[in-house]
Amino acid sequence: MKLHSIFFTLLFLTTSFLSAQEGVISGTINDGEFNDVLPFANVLIKGTTKGATSDFDGKYQIDIEPGTYTVVFSFLGYETKEITGVVVTAGKETTIDVTLNPASNQLDEVVVTTSVTQNTEASVLNLQKRSVALLDGLSIQSIKKTGANDIASAVRNVPGVSVQNGKFVYVRGLGDRYTKSVLNGMDIPGLDPDRNTLQLDIFPTNILDNILVVKSSTADLPADFTGGVIDIVTKDLPTRPEYSVTAGVSYNSSMHFNDNYLSYEGSGTDFLGFDDGLRDLPIAQSTNIPIPAQDGVTVRQLTRRFTQTMAAQQEQSFMDFNFGFTAGNQFNLNEEGDLRLGYLASFSYRNTTEYFEDYIDGQVFRKDPQFSENELITDRTQVGDLGVNNVLWNALAGLSLKSPLSKYKFNVLHIQNGESNAALLIQENFNVNSNLNKRDALVYTERSITNGLLSGYHTNEDASWSVEWKFSPTLSRIYDKDFRVAPFRINQNGTFTISPSESGDPTRIWRDLQEINLPGKLDITRKHSLFSRDAKFKFGGAYTFKNREFVVDQFSFPVQSRGGNFSLTFEGDADRILAPESIYALDTQQGTYVRRDSNISDTFDSDMTIWAGYLSEEFRLTDRFNAILGLRFEKFDLVYTGESQVRGTFDNEKILDKADFFPSANFIYDLNEDANRKVRVSYSRTTARPSFKEASIAEIFDPITSTFFIGNIDLQPTYINNFDVRYESYGEGTNFFAVSGFYKTFQDPIELSFIREARGQFIPLNLGDATVFGAELEFRRNLGFIPGWRNFNVNLNFSLIESQQNFSEDEREAREDNLREGETLADNRQLQGQSPMLLNFGLDYDNPENGWQAGIFYNVQGETLQIVGNADIPDVFTQPFHNLNLNVSKSFGKEQQSKISLRFSNILNDEIESFYKSFRATDQVFSRRFPGQAISLSYSLQF
Amino acid sequence: MMAIAALTMVSCGDDDGPSEPAATCSDGIQNQGETGVDCGGPNCQPCTVEPTCTDGIQNGDEEGVDCGGSCPNSCDTSGVVEVTTNITSDVTWTSNNIYELQGRIAVTNGATLTIEPGTIIKAFAGTGANASVLIVARGAQLNAVGTASSPIIFTSIADNIELGQTAGTNLNENDRGLWGGLIVLGNAPVSLDGDAESAQIEGIPVTDPNGLYGGSDPDDSSGNLQYISIRHGGALIGEGNEINGLTLGGVGSGTIIDNIEVVANVDDGIEFFGGNVDASNLFVWAQGDDAIDIDQAYSGTITNVVVVQGDISDHAFEIDGPEGSLQGAFFLTDATLFGLDANEADGEVADYRDNAQGTTRNVLVTGFTGIGDGLQLSDVELDNDGVANNYTNGLLVFENWEVVLPTGVTTSAEIFDDRSTIGSTFEADAATFSSAVDNNGAATVGADTSAFSWTYSNAKAGLGF
Repeated sequence: MKLHSIFFTLLFLTTSFLSAQEGVISGTINDGEFNDVLPFANVLIKGTTKGATSDFDGKYQIDIEPGTYTVVFSFLGYETKEITGVVVTAGKETTIDVTLNPASNQLDEVVVTTSVTQNTEASVLNLQKRSVALLDGLSIQSIKKTGANDIASAVRNVPGVSVQNGKFVYVRGLGDRYTKSVLNGMDIPGLDPDRNTLQLDIFPTNILDNILVVKSSTADLPADFTGGVIDIVTKDLPTRPEYSVTAGVSYNSSMHFNDNYLSYEGSGTDFLGFDDGLRDLPIAQSTNIPIPAQDGVTVRQLTRRFTQTMAAQQEQSFMDFNFGFTAGNQFNLNEEGDLRLGYLASFSYRNTTEYFEDYIDGQVFRKDPQFSENELITDRTQVGDLGVNNVLWNALAGLSLKSPLSKYKFNVLHIQNGESNAALLIQENFNVNSNLNKRDALVYTERSITNGLLSGYHTNEDASWSVEWKFSPTLSRIYDKDFRVAPFRINQNGTFTISPSESGDPTRIWRDLQEINLPGKLDITRKHSLFSRDAKFKFGGAYTFKNREFVVDQFSFPVQSRGGNFSLTFEGDADRILAPESIYALDTQQGTYVRRDSNISDTFDSDMTIWAGYLSEEFRLTDRFNAILGLRFEKFDLVYTGESQVRGTFDNEKILDKADFFPSANFIYDLNEDANRKVRVSYSRTTARPSFKEASIAEIFDPITSTFFIGNIDLQPTYINNFDVRYESYGEGTNFFAVSGFYKTFQDPIELSFIREARGQFIPLNLGDATVFGAELEFRRNLGFIPGWRNFNVNLNFSLIESQQNFSEDEREAREDNLREGETLADNRQLQGQSPMLLNFGLDYDNPENGWQAGIFYNVQGETLQIVGNADIPDVFTQPFHNLNLNVSKSFGKEQQSKISLRFSNILNDEIESFYKSFRATDQVFSRRFPGQAISLSYSLQF
Repeated sequence: MMAIAALTMVSCGDDDGPSEPAATCSDGIQNQGETGVDCGGPNCQPCTVEPTCTDGIQNGDEEGVDCGGSCPNSCDTSGVVEVTTNITSDVTWTSNNIYELQGRIAVTNGATLTIEPGTIIKAFAGTGANASVLIVARGAQLNAVGTASSPIIFTSIADNIELGQTAGTNLNENDRGLWGGLIVLGNAPVSLDGDAESAQIEGIPVTDPNGLYGGSDPDDSSGNLQYISIRHGGALIGEGNEINGLTLGGVGSGTIIDNIEVVANVDDGIEFFGGNVDASNLFVWAQGDDAIDIDQAYSGTITNVVVVQGDISDHAFEIDGPEGSLQGAFFLTDATLFGLDANEADGEVADYRDNAQGTTRNVLVTGFTGIGDGLQLSDVELDNDGVANNYTNGLLVFENWEVVLPTGVTTSAEIFDDRSTIGSTFEADAATFSSAVDNNGAATVGADTSAFSWTYSNAKAGLGF
C-alpha cells in the first residue's frame, strides 16, 4: 500500500516542521476594491522588526515567539489596518484574514483598528461586501453554530434559500431546474434521475470551507446559472498543522430503540454504504426469459436466481451515530520557504436510522362529478410504516504546491451513500378500483460520487497578469438495486390473495444511472488602468462534456396455478412468494415464475457538450461607482441514443444545437466614503436547459408512483432575463442590513405537465411564459448595544416571492371543465415548487472567553405548490414546516481544544405534510409524516 | 488513513448472477429431486413422457415446438406472417397463414384490416409499452368475421395450435397473461373524469395517437367482429393494470359485435369504456378479474352472456357509471353466470359501483359460493351511496333474476347486498325481482347456451352446450 507510506511520511515531516518555541501568525489579505486577494501587501508586528509581504495569493506567514501582539497591515493607496490582541502560542498558528480598502483620500493615512474576534467573524461578510456579483455566503463558523451536519440543512440559513425534502436546495424558491449546484466552481452530476439539481444532504459540512449562494450572474459563470448558483467550496489547504477528531450520537424518541422498526436482510457491507453483491442483477439484460409453457426448465432456473426476501421484518432500531477526522499541514520544500507543499485529508462516517409510523403518502382525492359539490371524494388512502437506514461516508484528500508565482492543487473527493428502506403499506382504493391491498416494499439505493480537481494558478512578477485553470472530472452513479414490491389483496374475510388485476404482480427492479462530467476551464485576468483608475479585464473559456446512461431492468413474478386457490395466498407472507417450494415446478406446472417487464424505451444514453468563451471588464467610473460588464458565448449540443416503438430509433443523433450570447451587467454605487452603504443593480441573461431525461424519447413507467414519464425530444431551452436591485448597509463587525428586489422573466419555461387524455402520464413541455418577482430582507445585528448582551447576535432574513406561470392549453381546459359553481379560473398559477415566503431567524450567544456557545434557529417556508392538479384531481400544496432547533456547546481544555455540543431538533414537534386543496372544500391529506424530536450529542477535539 | 484506504476501494461488483447449481437435467445423475435420471421432479421435464411430437414442448431433437427433427411436422414457416409494423392501408389476413403479432400493432385511421374465417393470430409475450396488442384505432375498421366452424383465434405464441385447428393442446384456462389483447377504439361518446372528450386507453403511452378513444359520433362504426376467440391474454401494462381480452373504447352503434369468446385473460374478459355499441353472444371463462366490465356511461345493449368463473376470477359483472357529466345507461339481458362453489376469497356475482346506471334483466346465477366455514358468500352488491341513490331513483334496475341457492343460503334475496351508508330498498326488493330455482334445468331465465356450442371452452371444459 504505497499510499499508506506516503501518508506516514507526510505525518513525520509535519511533526518535525515547527520549532517548539515559536508560534506562527498567518492569513490572507483581501482587496477591498475587487473581489480578489491583495498581493505584495506589508505585514508588520508592531513593536518588533518582524514582518512579511503577502504573496500573489494574498497569503502571508510570520514565525514569532509566543506572546500577545498587534499586527499592522498596509499597502500603498489603501487604508492601514491594525489588529490588536493577537495571541500567539508556542507551536501553534494564529490565523488573521483581513480586507484592506482603498484609501479614499490618498493624502491622509487611514488606520483602522479592530480586535481579532471581530475580524474573524466578519470575514465572510467581507467577501460578500467586496463581491461585484450579488452573493450570500455561509462560513463554516456559522454552519457550526447551527449544528447542521450536512449542507442541505446548513444552507437553509441563507436568505431566499429553501430546502425541499431535506435534500434539494432552491434559490429564491425557484424550482430545482433553476438552481445550479457546483463543486469548487465546477459542474457535478446530479444523483437523481428525475431532478436537474444535486441533492445536497449527502455533502457533509466537514469538507467545507464555505458555501456561496450567487444570485446575479457574471460572464465568468456558466450560462445555465439560471436563478442562482450554490457553490460548495471544499476546505482550502491549511497553513498550519490541523488535526481533529469528532464523534457524535443522536437519539430520536419516536424512531430509535423502537421494536416496530422495519428492515430487511441486507448484505455484509451495507454498513459501509454499498452492497457486496447480494443484490446484484441476477439475469443479464441480454438473457431471454421464456414463459413456462415454452421452456419450463429455463424459467425455473432463472426464477431460482432471485433471493427469497420480499417481506419487511420488524426489528429494534438503533440510534444515529457519526465520527470523523481531518488532518492537514503544510511544510517548506526549500530553505527560502517560498516553495511549500500542503496536504489535507478528511474522513467522516454517518449512520442514521429513521422510522415513520403511520405515515401517509400518495393518497388520491377527486373533485365531485357534480359541479355543485365542493367536497372532495376519497379515491385512494395509503398508510403504513417505513424504516430507513442511511449510511454515508466521504473521504477527501488533497495536495497543494505553492511556488512564488504559481500554485497547484490536486483534490480527490469520494462520497458513498447506501440507503435501505423497508415499508409495509395498506392501500385502499374506492373509485377507479375498489379494493384493499397490503404491500411490502424494500428498496436499496446506492449512490456514489468520485470527483477529482486539478487546478493551477499562475501570475507574473507584479501580479498584473494571472491565469487560472481547472479540470474537474466526476463520475457519479445512482443504482436502485433490487427494489422489491409484494402486493397482496386483502379479502373481505381477512385472507390474502395475489391478485394481479387488482393490486399488481410481485415486482423487482434494478435502475442504474451513471454519469460522467468532464469540465475544464481557463480564466485569464489582466489588471490595468481605465479612466485613470484600476481596472480588471478578464477573459477565458470553458468546455464541459457530460454523458449519462440510464438502464432499467424490471421483472415481475406471476403465479401460475392449476385450479383451486393454490399458492396465490401464501397466507400473506411475502417471503413465501419466492421460497424454493413456491417456484414453478415442472412436475406440477404450478408456482411463481419470473417475467421481464422492462422495455426498450426505458433505456437511454445521452451526451452534452458545452463550449464557452467570455470577456468581462471590471472598472470604476468614479471613486464610488464600480461596474462590471461582460459577455459570454455558449455553444450547447445534446446528442441522444435511444429507442421507442412509436418514435423510432435515435443513434447518436444531435437533437439540440444552440449557440447563444449571454450579456451581463453589474453596477455598485457606494453611498458613502467608507463604502459601508451600497446600492447594487444588475442584469443578466441566463438559460435553463432540458435535462437528459426530458429531452429524450424515453417512455419510462415508474412503479413507485405508478406514472409514465414521456420524454419530449422537441424540448427547447428556457431563456431567462434577471434583474436585481439591492441596498446594503455594513455596520460594525458583523452588523449588516440589506433589502433587495428581483424580477425575472422566463421565455418557454419547462415544466413536467400532465396529459389530459392519459391519466398518470407526464411529459415535460415548454409552457407559456412565466414571471417571478420578489423582495428579500436580511438583518444581522450584534446586541452589544444592550448592556450585558455583547455576546448575542440576532440574524433574520425574510423573502416574499410571487410567481406567475401561464397555463398550457390542456391545463387551462381541464381546469375550466372542473370549476365548482361560483369558482373562477385565475389567469395563471404559481410555479411548481415555488415557495411564496421564506423566513429564517436565529439568535446566538458566543462567548470565546468561557467557551460557551448557544443558538436558537427557526426556519419556515410558505405553502408551496407541490403537484399540479389534473382535471378532477386538485392541486397539492406542501404545508409550512415550523422548524425550531436549539444548539448549545462548550469548549474547554487548554486552549479550548475540546468541544461538547448538544442539539435539540424540531422543538415544536411539527409534522411534514401536504394537502389537496380545492375551492371551498375541506383540505385532504396527500402525505404526512412525523419527523419526531431528536437530541444529538457530539464531541470534537482539535490538536 | 481510513480516508486514503477508502479511496482506493472500488465498490463495483460484477453483473454476473449467482452460479448455476451443479445438478442439471442433463448430467446423467438422478439428483435434485428427479424421479428418474435427468427427468421428473420440480426441475426437469416429466419422466413418464418421452418426448413426443404432440407434447407441446420443444424437446427431443425438435427444431420448434413439436415440429422439425424426427417429428412428422416440419417447422415450415412459410405459413407464418410476422406483423411488426402498424397497418396503415387496407390489408387482409388469410386463413392459410399464422399471423405473429410482435409488439403493439395499430390499424390506423382510414385503414381496414380484414381477417378471414379460421385465421390464427399468435402474439408475442411482452409487457408494458412492449405488450403485443392489436389496436383498431379511431377511424380504422376491423372486419373480422369468423364462422362457428372456423372462428378467428387470437392466442399466444406459446400455443401449439396449428393451421386448420381450433385448439392447441399445451395450454389451458390457467395459462394467462401470455400476450396483450384486442383493443377496438371508436369515436362514440364517453363520459370521462373531468369531462374530457377523449382519453388515452390505459397503458398506451400518449406518444401513440392510436391509443385515443371517445368522440361525438354515436353512429360510428369500427367494423364487424363475429366469431372471435381470444385466449391467454392480459399482459401487464401498469401496476394492477392489465389489458382486457376485448377492450371496447368509445365504440359506436355502427359496429357489429357478436359471438365473442374470451378465455384465461388476466384482467377483465370484455370491458366497455363508454360508447353505445350493441353486443350479443358473449362468453367469458376463467378471467383473472371481472368477466363483463362496464364503465364511462356505456349505453348499448348486451344480449346473451355466459360467464364461467375460474379460480382467481373476481366478479362476473363489474358495472360502473358515468365519470363525467355525460350520462348514459346500459341494458344487459339474458345471462347465465356459473360460479365457483367453494371460494375462500373473492369471486362474486356482481358489483354495481360508482354511479352505475342501467338495467340488468333475466339473469341466472348458479354454482356460486355460499355460507360455510372459511367461505365467502358470493353476492350482488351495491357498492356505495351513489349507486344506492341511483337504485332509489330508478336509474339502476334489476328484473327477473333466478338463483340456484348456494350452500347455507335459504332465499334468493340473501345474495343481494346493499353496502351503502344511506341504504335503499334493494335488499327488500330482491325478494320480488329474484327467485330461487332448484337447478339450472328449472331456470326460466338466463342465456341461450346453444349459441356457444362453437366455443373452445365448450369443448375444453366439456360444458355440453
